[in-house]
Amino acid sequence: MLTIYFGDMEQANYGPTWFKYNYEPEWLEDPFVQAMIEGVDKSRYIAGLVIESPVFGPIPPERLSGGVQTLIMIYEKPELVFDATSCGENCAKWLLEIGKRKDVTVNLNYLMSFDGQEPFEIMIANEHKMVTNEKDYVFTAVLYL
Amino acid sequence: MKGKHRIVLETGRVKYDFTVRRNITVVQGDSATGKTTLIELLSQYGRQGARSGITLTSDVPCFVYTGGADSREWTPFFATARGGIIFVDEGFSFVHSVEFAECIKNTGDYYLLIARKPLVNLPYSIQEIYGIKTSGKYHFPYQVFHEFYPIYQQEEAFNIPQKIILLVEDGRSGYQFFSKVCDHLCEVSCESAGGNSNVYRRLLQIAGKEPVLVIADGAAFGSFVESVVSVARKRGNTGLYFPESFEWLILESGIIQSSEIEKVMKAPENYIESRNYFSWEQFFTAFLQEKTKGNEYLYYKKNHLPEFYLSETNRRKILNVLPEKLKELLNEGFTPEEATELKRRIDDVNRGNTTEHSIIEA
Repeated sequence: MLTIYFGDMEQANYGPTWFKYNYEPEWLEDPFVQAMIEGVDKSRYIAGLVIESPVFGPIPPERLSGGVQTLIMIYEKPELVFDATSCGENCAKWLLEIGKRKDVTVNLNYLMSFDGQEPFEIMIANEHKMVTNEKDYVFTAVLYL
Repeated sequence: MKGKHRIVLETGRVKYDFTVRRNITVVQGDSATGKTTLIELLSQYGRQGARSGITLTSDVPCFVYTGGADSREWTPFFATARGGIIFVDEGFSFVHSVEFAECIKNTGDYYLLIARKPLVNLPYSIQEIYGIKTSGKYHFPYQVFHEFYPIYQQEEAFNIPQKIILLVEDGRSGYQFFSKVCDHLCEVSCESAGGNSNVYRRLLQIAGKEPVLVIADGAAFGSFVESVVSVARKRGNTGLYFPESFEWLILESGIIQSSEIEKVMKAPENYIESRNYFSWEQFFTAFLQEKTKGNEYLYYKKNHLPEFYLSETNRRKILNVLPEKLKELLNEGFTPEEATELKRRIDDVNRGNTTEHSIIEA
C-alpha cells in the first residue's frame, strides 16, 4: 500500500543522498529495480556496478537521477520515510508499483499527478483517507500543500 | 540586474541553451531530464573555467551555491550581490524560508532555483516555471540537447459557458474593475477569492459544475499555479487567465498615452531593475502610478480604482487586451452611441429609406 503524507515532515529523508552513501550492490540485480532504472532514466543495468546511460554511456549508480535513486530507497528501505519530492511525475507509476509490492509511506511537497494510472489505491495520511481516482486525490492533497 | 540573458553550456555529451528573463526562475518537471547535470557542469566550470572542457557562453557571470544548509553559511553568500545569475540545486530547504526571501530581495542578482515544492515566500511568475526537454539521437556518444519549456501558459483553453462566475484574487482594483464589467452582463457575476493563496480553496467550494473563470496576477502567482491548475483540470468548466497583473492590463490597453509606456511594454525585462522590484507586478504598479501622478483624475490607486478606469470607453479598451475568447465572454455589447446609430439605420430600413451603404452596415 502506498501512503502519502503531504506537507512538511521533519523525519522525511532525502533519497539521493541516502542512496549515494548507503546503496547495496545487490539491489541493482533485482529485475524490479532494473525496470525502474529503465523506465525513468532510460538507462540499462549491465552488470556489477555498471549502468548504461543513453547520454553518458557507462555510469556508476551514483549518477542515476535523483528521482530513481529515491524510488530505489523507498523500495529497499520501506521502514523509512523518504521525501518523494525528489521524484518527478514520471516516477508516479513506479510509486504505485512499489505500493502494490510493499507497504511504504512517502512524504510529498508538490502535487504529483497520477493521471492515467487510475484506478489506484493511495492512502492520504493527513486525513487517513483512501483515494482511488485522480480527482479525489487532487481535491484532498491540495489542502495540505 | 536587468534584461534577458541567454546561457549556452556545452560539452561533447550535452548542450544546454536557455534564456533567463527575470530575477526568479524555477525549474522543475520530470526526473532524469538533466537538472542536476546542469548544476554539476556549472559548478565544475566555476572551479576550473574553460580548462574543464566545458564551454559556457553568457553575458553575465553564473554562480552555483555549493555550500551547506546552515544559515550561517548561506546567508553571507546570498546577501552579497554578484551581478550575475545564481543557480541553486534542489534539496536546500532554506530556499523556502522567509529569511531567504528577505535575503535575496534587494541584491539585484537573478536566481535560478530547482524546486518542485512551491516557493510560497517568493513572488515568481507563472511564466518563469520551466521544465527541461531533451532532443538529439539520445544514444551515447552523440550529444543530447537540453532546452527549457514553460510548464504553464498565460491562458488555459476552456469552453465558453453560458453563465459564469468570475473569480479574481482580491477585493482591490482588479476586482473593482471586473465587478463593474459584470454589472453590465446578466450572465456573469464577479467575486473575490480573498487573496491569491485562497483561489484554489474557493474553486473547490464553488459547487458542482458551476462554470468559473479565474483571473489572477501571473507575475507573482508561481507558487499557487500548480494547485489552481490541478484543481481546475479535475473540476472541469474552469477557465484560467494569468495576465502579468491588472496594472499590466491597463498599461497595455493604451488608455494612458505615453511613448515611454509603449517602449517599456515591448520588453519590460530591459527596464525592470531586480534590485528595486522583487516581482514584475510591483514594477507595473509603480510605473503606472508614476505615469499618472500629478493628475488626481488619473492617479492610480490599488485600493480604490478611480472612475476614469471604470468609464465605458476605458473598460472596453482594457478588456480589449484580453485573449479573444475572454473578450467574447465579457463583451458588453454596443455602446449607447452605437446602439442609437444602429436603431436609426434599422428604422431607416423599416421606413424604406434604404441605401446600399446602410443595408450593409446595418
